[in-house]
Amino acid sequence: MTEYILLLVSAIFVNNILLARYLGNCPFLGVSKSMDTAVGMGMAVIFVTTLAGVITWVVQFYLLDPFGLGYLRTIAFILVIAALVQFVEMFLQKSVPGLYRALGIFLPLITTNCAVLGVALININEKYDFMKTLVFSFASAVGFALALVLFAGIRERFALMKVPKPFEGTPLGLITAGLLSMSFLGFAGLVK
Amino acid sequence: MSLATEFTKGLWKEIPPFRLVLGLCPTLAVTTAAKNGIGMGLATTFVLVCSNILVSLLRKFIPSKVRIASYIVIIASFVVIVELAMQAYFYSLYQILGIFIPLIVVNCIVLGRAEAFASKNSVVYSVADGLGMGLGFTASLTVLGSIRELLGAGNLFGAHVLWSSFEPFTFMVKAPGAFVCLGFLLGFMNIIGTKK
Amino acid sequence: MRDIIRMVIVLTIICGASGLTLSTVKQVTEEPREYSYLKFVKEPSIKAVLSGYDNDPVMDRVTLTVGKDDKGQPIQKQFFPAKSGGKVTTIAFDSSAIGYGGPISVMVGVNIDGSLAAVSIMSHSETPGLGARSTEPWFTAQFKGLSLGAVGLSSKGGKVDAISGASITSAAVVKAVRDAMELFPKVKDEVTKS
Repeated sequence: MTEYILLLVSAIFVNNILLARYLGNCPFLGVSKSMDTAVGMGMAVIFVTTLAGVITWVVQFYLLDPFGLGYLRTIAFILVIAALVQFVEMFLQKSVPGLYRALGIFLPLITTNCAVLGVALININEKYDFMKTLVFSFASAVGFALALVLFAGIRERFALMKVPKPFEGTPLGLITAGLLSMSFLGFAGLVK
Repeated sequence: MSLATEFTKGLWKEIPPFRLVLGLCPTLAVTTAAKNGIGMGLATTFVLVCSNILVSLLRKFIPSKVRIASYIVIIASFVVIVELAMQAYFYSLYQILGIFIPLIVVNCIVLGRAEAFASKNSVVYSVADGLGMGLGFTASLTVLGSIRELLGAGNLFGAHVLWSSFEPFTFMVKAPGAFVCLGFLLGFMNIIGTKK
Repeated sequence: MRDIIRMVIVLTIICGASGLTLSTVKQVTEEPREYSYLKFVKEPSIKAVLSGYDNDPVMDRVTLTVGKDDKGQPIQKQFFPAKSGGKVTTIAFDSSAIGYGGPISVMVGVNIDGSLAAVSIMSHSETPGLGARSTEPWFTAQFKGLSLGAVGLSSKGGKVDAISGASITSAAVVKAVRDAMELFPKVKDEVTKS
């Protein structure tokens, strides 16, 4: 049990998928302009990443390894993720149209979110078993959502401040992300 | 539009990842040293040019509804080729770049150019576009990598450059340094851009 | 309907072409990839147990079947010969045994006369400060030049002093080395003749 808790804490804080592992930056800067979109995107990423992590793990162990197709991992995984996002889109459109409309264009964008593919690949590289894969995928996505929401909160304040023109927007966002990342470095000693 | 403009736009006016804000993940992750930046940039350029060529060649045959899926398969295939080639001939670079090599497949630059340009233009122009963007990206990565390597370890391309009593800012080669460095570079690019 | 058929055909062709290209590239790069992997990942350990040679042990490697595992599948092992003037002087190969925290992987260099050239610990999960001290030079240096009979813990009449507080680790390393030396005469001819 403890090792799962450790895995959870380390994935969310110590090795935060975005601020420490650099995965998921593209949507990070685009989506975090307002709290609502940040929360919506965060939830969507948690859902897709957890599912994707688990399904790709199954694909690796029951499809790729037995047939010696390990080298096709990249292409197989990205296709699984793309298909998964497509299904989630269709499902949401029919069952929870409100959420579907709220997420808008961000849902298909999750396909190219490096965090999702990244987490799927890390699961395999670290040789996690099924349970660890599940925990790690979920926790990493939570870490992503957390960073996203924190960032959005800060950025909403920026909109009201005076900033030197060349630094407005993305440059300031990046520098802020750097400071946020530094603060997360403070978690470094948390897990042995 | 001329071949020259299509090529050069990727080198300054629409240079990724500064002007064309795409492809940030690898930019931050692999620029711990100049050599890594070049390696990643060239690998990405290879995939970008090849996929642009193929997408452009097939643009009349791929039905619109399955275009994204097709592009993904095409791009992913070239990424696997790069992966295998690196494992065979550039193993040390492969070890350093690690997980970011397969992640070229979700590098927004590649999919972005396939969708925005190669699917609508001839092969020759697509090559120019791909080469320009790819080389611009490589240059950006190398510059960022050099700055971080210089300040973070006192080296450049592995050779000791700064004076021996220089205390390196290890912060530079870690995550926060990457963000901050890129942010400042972007800001400066904007300043230069407006002055022109 | 025509549209759907067309979509399926296009996707199938693209996937098919991709599959064919990739499996071809994989075949073509198989050799260089294995060589690169061995050179970068295993070579440091191989170099640690060989000396005074003029060939490329990784390039001249010999792969042999050395028995069956519990599923009845043949076990393949790679042997890296060091040559001097065209003649094999020492052969490096890996061996392992279960230590305190898990398997300990050892690279062993055996001279052509059956004595040990050197031993190098490749990987382990032993306790830092105790079993992990097996990687310290003083421990592995003890094995140099020993013949099979002398490879044993000094407490049992051999020439190898155990690490204090890490008897299980020490015994495991000794077992791994002994297994390697016992395997050696069975494969020596095969490896030298290539």
